[in-house]
Amino acid sequence: MISLQRLVLSLLFSSLSLNTAASDEAANDEQYLQSSVAEPYIEMRTAPGRGYPVFYVAERGELVTLLKRKTDWIKLRTYRGIEGWASINDVGLTLDSAGQPLAIHSPDRDSFTNRRWEAGIMAGDFGDTDAVTAYGGWHFTRNFSLEVNLTENFGDASDGRQATVDLVHQMFPHWRYSPFVTIGGGVRETSPRSSLVSTSDRTDNVASVGAGLRVYLSRRLMLRMQYKNVVVMTDRDDDEEINTWQIGISAFY
Amino acid sequence: MANRHQRILLAAVLAACMPALALSAETDEPVIFPEIERREINPAAIDTEDFEIGAFAGILSIQDFDSEVVYGVRAAWHVTEDFFFEANYGVSEGDLTSYEKISGGAPLFDDDDRDYTYYNLSLGWNAFPGEVFLFDKYAMKSDLYFIGGAGSTEFLDDNWFTVTVGVGYRLLLNDSFTWRIDVRDHIYDRDAFGEDETVNNIEWSTGLTLFF
Repeated sequence: MISLQRLVLSLLFSSLSLNTAASDEAANDEQYLQSSVAEPYIEMRTAPGRGYPVFYVAERGELVTLLKRKTDWIKLRTYRGIEGWASINDVGLTLDSAGQPLAIHSPDRDSFTNRRWEAGIMAGDFGDTDAVTAYGGWHFTRNFSLEVNLTENFGDASDGRQATVDLVHQMFPHWRYSPFVTIGGGVRETSPRSSLVSTSDRTDNVASVGAGLRVYLSRRLMLRMQYKNVVVMTDRDDDEEINTWQIGISAFY
Repeated sequence: MANRHQRILLAAVLAACMPALALSAETDEPVIFPEIERREINPAAIDTEDFEIGAFAGILSIQDFDSEVVYGVRAAWHVTEDFFFEANYGVSEGDLTSYEKISGGAPLFDDDDRDYTYYNLSLGWNAFPGEVFLFDKYAMKSDLYFIGGAGSTEFLDDNWFTVTVGVGYRLLLNDSFTWRIDVRDHIYDRDAFGEDETVNNIEWSTGLTLFF
């Protein structure tokens, strides 16, 4: 009944152009998703965060426009033009034009299991030197992913920068504590410290194998710990072997 | 039984309508314009604004090398409302040490070696989110956050593993633009003067960022 009224009203407004602002807004809303509240009400807050005050509740049957998303909050506009932030889990219960729930929700264990992308930062020990790593990974199946690692380490005798591409296999993607093994290769640039007799920078190929553990924390966050054995293929008679231990925090998407 | 009755009735109605349908088909003018517009609901189409990029400028106190102007860029990924990843890159330049100034002798380091660049990869925690009220009209979201991370400092022709800790304040002028104030301490072990020493380089900065 309400929707019929609204239809009639909007027809009236648009045909008579009485309220150009309203029709403009309606035209703008065309590019956004709209859904209707199915629960008794949906709470709207002043800002995207659980601590912010609820200043409006949209009732069951009210049509809301989904403007944008920030972390796990969605900015809604009601047909009265009131804008506020609702939790994504509440918005997930609203219905689309076909009467189906939107079924969007904040990331959980299932999202962790089925993640497509992840990225993170790690710090730790790289052959008795300090090291910092940034990495990004793409999961092309639930078990396999490709990762790009950028590492810089800082030693008393030399610094190094290393870029590797790794194939990562996790045997139990649905486990909260999910172990993995890696194999990869790349390049490494080593520069001796300025306090030493100047020898020039050198670039070598590296290969690595490793194992580690990802732990799902909450929402999008996970903890990552790993060991890698890196072989630096130098010009000298013996290859250099480096043990690395790192811990870091990552997020998935 | 009722079902069968319905079917018979429907068949009768259809039969009665047939001539009318045939007629409308002949005139080639559709009576009804079917305008059923199914809106595709694709939740991925919702515009997400979890990334923040921006620039900052401030003062960096480089231990033993005076306080100098620092400026840089930063990018952040807001993973939840509480936590964000942030990468920072900044440049500055160290001045003469007190010793170099007073002794009046030859400088200990080349000018090029005094270029100070750093980066860090950090995790931030929006510990105290809040709201700021300005006059009667404006209410703006704010966050007081703690941030910590690791990275590199290139100074005096060497790279140093650097731990950065700090506290900052972010005021969202609207959904997209923010004003930030940061205090950070960049800590590393330096052996530029012959023996290892831990140095603290405190940075005050302010900047603007954009959520997208």
